Amino acid sequence: MLDAFIQGLFVVFEWQTFLIMLLGIFLGFWVGLLPGLGGSTTLALMLPFIYKMSPVEAFAFLLGMHSVVSTTGDITSVLFGVPGEGTTAATILDGHAMAKKGEAGRALGAALMSSLIGALVGAFALALAIPVVRPLVLSFGAPELFMLAVVGIAFISSLSGQGGRALLRGFLAGLLGLLFSLVGQDPQAGVQRFTFSQLYLWGGLDLVPVLVGLFAVPEIVDLAIRGTSIAGELPQGNLGRGAWEGVKDTFRHFWLTIRCSLIGTFIGIMPGLGGGVAQWIAYGHAVQSAQDANERSGFGKGDVRGVLGPGAANNSKEGGALIPTIAFGVPGSSAMAILLGAFFMQGLMPGPDMLDKHLTLTFSMVWTMVIANTVTVVLSFFLLNQLAKLTMVPGSILIPFILFLAFIGSYTSNNHLGDLVVFLFFGFLGYLMIRSSWPRAPLVLGFVLGRIAENNFYISTIRYGPSWLLRPVVIILIVLTLLVIVYPLLRFRKGRQAAEEEPT
Amino acid sequence: MKRWNAKLRILSWAIFLIGMPVFVWGASPYEGKTLTIVVGYKPGGGYDRYARLYGKYLPKHIPGSPTIIIQNMPGANSIIAANHLYSVAKPDGLTIGTFNNALTTGQLTKVEGVKYDLMKFSWIGSAASDAVILTVRSDLPYKTFDDMRKAKEIVIGTTGPGSSTHDFPSILKEFTGVNLKLVPGYSSSADVMLAIERKEVDGRAGSYDSIKPFIDRGLVRPVIRNRISAPGIENLPVDEELTKDPKGKAIMAVNAAPTRIYRPYVAPPGTPADVMKILRDAFANASKDKELLAEAKKSKMTIDFASAEEALKVVREVLNQPAEMAQEIGKYIKFGD
Amino acid sequence: MKGFLNSRSFLALAGGMIAGYALYASLHWPFKTALFPRVVGIPLLALSLFELVLCMAGVEPEREGHAVDFELAKDIAPGLARRRTVAIFSWIFGFFVLILLCGFPLAVPLFVFLYLRLAGKHGWVLTLLLTLLSWFTMEGLFNRLLHLPFPDGWIFSLWG
Repeated sequence: MLDAFIQGLFVVFEWQTFLIMLLGIFLGFWVGLLPGLGGSTTLALMLPFIYKMSPVEAFAFLLGMHSVVSTTGDITSVLFGVPGEGTTAATILDGHAMAKKGEAGRALGAALMSSLIGALVGAFALALAIPVVRPLVLSFGAPELFMLAVVGIAFISSLSGQGGRALLRGFLAGLLGLLFSLVGQDPQAGVQRFTFSQLYLWGGLDLVPVLVGLFAVPEIVDLAIRGTSIAGELPQGNLGRGAWEGVKDTFRHFWLTIRCSLIGTFIGIMPGLGGGVAQWIAYGHAVQSAQDANERSGFGKGDVRGVLGPGAANNSKEGGALIPTIAFGVPGSSAMAILLGAFFMQGLMPGPDMLDKHLTLTFSMVWTMVIANTVTVVLSFFLLNQLAKLTMVPGSILIPFILFLAFIGSYTSNNHLGDLVVFLFFGFLGYLMIRSSWPRAPLVLGFVLGRIAENNFYISTIRYGPSWLLRPVVIILIVLTLLVIVYPLLRFRKGRQAAEEEPT
Repeated sequence: MKRWNAKLRILSWAIFLIGMPVFVWGASPYEGKTLTIVVGYKPGGGYDRYARLYGKYLPKHIPGSPTIIIQNMPGANSIIAANHLYSVAKPDGLTIGTFNNALTTGQLTKVEGVKYDLMKFSWIGSAASDAVILTVRSDLPYKTFDDMRKAKEIVIGTTGPGSSTHDFPSILKEFTGVNLKLVPGYSSSADVMLAIERKEVDGRAGSYDSIKPFIDRGLVRPVIRNRISAPGIENLPVDEELTKDPKGKAIMAVNAAPTRIYRPYVAPPGTPADVMKILRDAFANASKDKELLAEAKKSKMTIDFASAEEALKVVREVLNQPAEMAQEIGKYIKFGD
Repeated sequence: MKGFLNSRSFLALAGGMIAGYALYASLHWPFKTALFPRVVGIPLLALSLFELVLCMAGVEPEREGHAVDFELAKDIAPGLARRRTVAIFSWIFGFFVLILLCGFPLAVPLFVFLYLRLAGKHGWVLTLLLTLLSWFTMEGLFNRLLHLPFPDGWIFSLWG
């Protein structure tokens, strides 16, 4: 196995393969940056071109492109508050807030560095997991997936903020999100739920228009209200130095970054959880790592840890998602589903063979992810200063372009005007939520996890009857759920006590 | 788009007004033009890959070698694309499209939202047929249909009503007495395969093409098929022969018929006959093109061209079912996403 | 009635109405289909009404109630802020209407032009340059390269 590991590195560095990988990186850079281009869509568009390539070249190209998308997507999220990709929305909360404080360079540095570390951890996990991956994935069935979704939903309580009232609103947002996820045809009886006779809604609400509306519109409104550039009237530090500060932040909070990378990898490995989940769980974990109530309320307003968490997770999950794709032919994310098509086109069959006969190829994929991300981050650092300067452009120039990107970004979801309606609806909703102090993160989490929870609940119940509650991993996850709910409540009570004991 | 539309419109009008003489003089209607193939699904799926494959080789077989572009119009299991092709796209031969073969059943059972009439489309043909099969995990002891009938319970994972993973076993369960327990809710057929490996479910139904890699790998074994045969599954029992109930037989026949035209291609209603001839010949010839076949084989896409007449025959067969039969069918075959 | 008209009450009320509608719709569904909507809808309805009551009663502890999320800029005069908010929402909605009327490819440069001139009050040169940039991106990338399907604007279908 060791020689396959080393061989994998060498094949990536062969002339032609390396050049093709660079081409993929170049494409992926722009795809991630522009909200209108989706990573999955572009992957699909590239499929016909790999027909003539050898397997190593084909995957160097596709993976080179794909692994970069989460990294540059963070850039758009930080600078403009528009999610560059569906998976980089969480970075907006603190990343863009930092940009508004004039710390765009620092936020970008943190996002890029954490992305790199996340990608490395993900790739590393992929390499290490190869011997154990099959038993690991096989032990997580529908009951466990249901419980994972429940743990995720319970997490909403920690994303809600301090105080009983904030908790109430957090739950309201979460419940709303859960309800929105149920739009569409139900898989049990084939009944159309909440579709108002609209064909467009049969498949449910798409993540991208919801996210773009929820996050981009309030930011645009805020920008219009302030009447200044994104960075505002604050004195500009040296933006270049800012980026370096961001890198240092990543190492200051090194273990947090690593933990969030691991969370991302784990969620990526679980087929069926999808790409939208990892960033929010990581974000929630970063919030939980705050020491006290004061620190916690700083999240969403420019705490660099809110950038590190999702930045790392949305890259590491790609490495994780590759695992079930290669080992079982079950895609861990929508991009992976398309990558599977590439496997078949190359005449490869995902499964035990990939971990055996084609081990070198598998390791070459790992190395591609490592190298592609490293190259991207290094190159981006040179551009960071220029990119950060965009936050000094007057808002009235930027707004039409941000709106343009937001509209077209939503539209490319289904190429349907309905996408724009969804975008506007959630845009208005997002604005109302900000005005009313309802946190948006729980809504997103509920939206992303709702269907997963429902489907796996029914699969578990129909298949196993009530006995699935007694499975060992399920019991562990039930305990974890209780912990996740109770821990912040305990903290809150302790904080309250401390506040009451303070001399007034 | 406005400039393109204006140019195209002027050109199309010019062609139709000047008409026959120009055509007789040999100027091809596709010279310097763009042919758009509308696909009812997002990029990367099966229908999309077939369209892109054909899009690559069609220019060779169309005089004038137009540029071909693919446009994705997903939604409502391709009903949105079908509606668009039916009433919005112009019948000038510059827009054609592909959608779900099961839209025949959708029209028969009067699914809400259906605004097309498959009989009125200008049919080009179908690129492939596909069998629907039921498979079980290889380590299970069921080798023949009788084995299965004796079994206490066989758990089949599905993605929900409205897909072949669900409808095929649902009809089997109702009419052949096999004790199938359907577990719907998996997000994709690939997730069902993983569930099979986990021994969470025992088997899966669905398109032969998509299950074939797993059969080759040895994970599952096919046990029943529908009336469409294909290399490798010729000897399997056919579902219609496993039931004595005439209603069951009829429902199975109607369910199976559209899979003969698994990858349908149409042009909007009213496309002129001469243009249709070009398109039909182009598709037929492309389906015999050696390079296309080689690439298709490598990508594991079967090519099995059915002409427009055959396609219309299938459509007619399904749509001519009497109303009571349509209602019965609607109980088992829901239209889904 | 001041408590009733502000956005907090409005949102709580909206939440309650959405939950109410969901529960009402679920009455017609088979049990399995209706289970989750009810499990989510009932708490949503209850909590929304609770929040609504709290909002109307003016219960708003300033120290608590801060969401883990950003807050709109506070340092602009409320009158000015409200005018600008209405303005930007009008522009956003107007963009949508423009897309419906003229089709996406034309609406984008048109919107950029109008916004830069009317809202931003920028000079002609800058406006035209940026309009050109937006037109290039729209036509070049999204139309010619990606071939996204854009329905004709309503204006054009009327002219036919």
